[in-house]
Amino acid sequence: MSTLTLPSTAVAHHAERSHERARWSFPGIIWAECIKLLSLRSTWWFMALAVVLMTLFALGSAMSLDLTAATAESAGMLAVIHGAELISSGYPMGMIMIAVLGSLLITGEYSTGMIRSTFAAVPTRVPVLAAKAIVLVVLTVAVSAVSLAASSAVTFSVLSDLDLLPALTDAQTWQVFGGTTFFLVAAALFALGVGTLLRSTAGAVTVSLTVLLLLPGLLQLIRLDWVQSLIDHLPMPAATAFLATSGALGSNDTLEPWQGVLVVAGYAVVPLVAAALTLRRRDA
Amino acid sequence: MIEAHDLTKRYGDKSAVDHISFTIAPGTVTGFLGPNGAGKSTTMRMIVGLDRPTAGSVTVNGKPYAQHSWPLREVGALLDAKAVHPGRSARSHLRTMAATHGISIKRVDEVIEMTGLAGVAGKRVGGFSLGMGQRLGIASAMLGDPGTLILDEPVNGLDPDGVTWVRHLVRSLAAEGRTVFLSSHLMSEMAQTADQLLVIGRGRILTAGPVQQVIDSVTGTTVRVRSPHATELADLVRAEGVTITSGEAGSLELQGITVEQVGGTAAAHGIVLHELCLQRASLEDAYMNLTRDAVEYRSEPSPALAS
Repeated sequence: MSTLTLPSTAVAHHAERSHERARWSFPGIIWAECIKLLSLRSTWWFMALAVVLMTLFALGSAMSLDLTAATAESAGMLAVIHGAELISSGYPMGMIMIAVLGSLLITGEYSTGMIRSTFAAVPTRVPVLAAKAIVLVVLTVAVSAVSLAASSAVTFSVLSDLDLLPALTDAQTWQVFGGTTFFLVAAALFALGVGTLLRSTAGAVTVSLTVLLLLPGLLQLIRLDWVQSLIDHLPMPAATAFLATSGALGSNDTLEPWQGVLVVAGYAVVPLVAAALTLRRRDA
Repeated sequence: MIEAHDLTKRYGDKSAVDHISFTIAPGTVTGFLGPNGAGKSTTMRMIVGLDRPTAGSVTVNGKPYAQHSWPLREVGALLDAKAVHPGRSARSHLRTMAATHGISIKRVDEVIEMTGLAGVAGKRVGGFSLGMGQRLGIASAMLGDPGTLILDEPVNGLDPDGVTWVRHLVRSLAAEGRTVFLSSHLMSEMAQTADQLLVIGRGRILTAGPVQQVIDSVTGTTVRVRSPHATELADLVRAEGVTITSGEAGSLELQGITVEQVGGTAAAHGIVLHELCLQRASLEDAYMNLTRDAVEYRSEPSPALAS
């Protein structure tokens, strides 16, 4: 290692910094979260994997529909389905990746002890959570946009053969694309909120993926009316209310599209608010 | 300046820190000593707002840590050098902290240079040795050029070169008028580095004050005398409050008497002295004496040593 030196310019620094006082620190905190996220190789892997899986899945569904076009079931589907729904059909794959990333964003700090440096730098703590949320939203929108673009590109020929190319002037196209991005953002924020509340990686990932992915399927087996209507209020089924515009890829019988939007937004907001409220009270 | 007033932290019904009050003054190096589990780390964590006190308060430069607009420029803390993400490079880690305070990249590179990490700044922290991790912790503490430094075992894992460097660093920082508060278990190093001591045991302050004063108050001083007429000398100095211990042939250890008095008495009676010196107890002896009853975790002496 190179030689150690003593801080000879320390006194000069003292004088310098006095006029740097009254600046708002939040942009700096956001920048710090960006650096944290992007300086880890695992982040890039997650993002790449999310895009690749979503694109492959979209390609898979489009091709399977194309190959089975002659069968009665597919023919019925082909008659009503909207091209945008096929393009975005890979979103559950992306949701898994993004939920894990969202949880890790906070639980990784607790597990490595980095959270102590973070809270020493920002002792009011809540701005850190807000900055993480903002950075996560931007990241998720980027991943979603890139996936939708890539999915559109790879399914282009198949969709044009089936005469299902979504028109950019069609409002439904934007409802589906926008809705997919909105849902992925909500899933990410849900995972962040749960992660902050539970503080453990294993706990947060388990809870997030159970609620987001597994619970609808599991609860299907309980043949009680109120349980069945509860399922419609879980994140993915609620999203179906505004994503499955044609009804060909599922439907939500309890919620209107706008209600679905509110329910999904609730999943994003409630854990985060609870986390923000408890963040300052607990020991780091 | 760090001021604690009636500071308390309880976990359930166990008090980790029990109504302690102290002032750490600027311009000096204050050593924080205590057995494992005494409450040193808890106290330091409460100073930087990581733990909430159950009762009492602690302020830095007049305000609680969380109320400072730019905390890292007020207080630089090294509490746990391993508290970094192993997948990140050292430089990125420092950059994230610098970003929250608008501290320039130039400063980041400066502290990297200062702590000798220039060669490994781009490497993953997970691959760092204990000493390198410790240097990174010191670099983060120095990042905001703070007026107060809180260091929990800063020389842990450092080679002798590094230990000396830390000693010179903290002494020069204190000489500039900064407040330096550091804890260590390395008594020999602490004796050379610290001006003031704060000793804690079982959550309570055992003693505080200048280093030599603490040592002397706990152990007292011993005068060591070697003379061919040791027994005669012993009879002469025997008096109220003087303890005499005979060592090997011809040597005495006297407590409760000054070197001057022994020398004067010997000269007055023509007694030849071969050795006359003042033995000060080491900080380690004083510390062991002081904390004997306050040790939380005591290991059993091994059979070989005990017999």
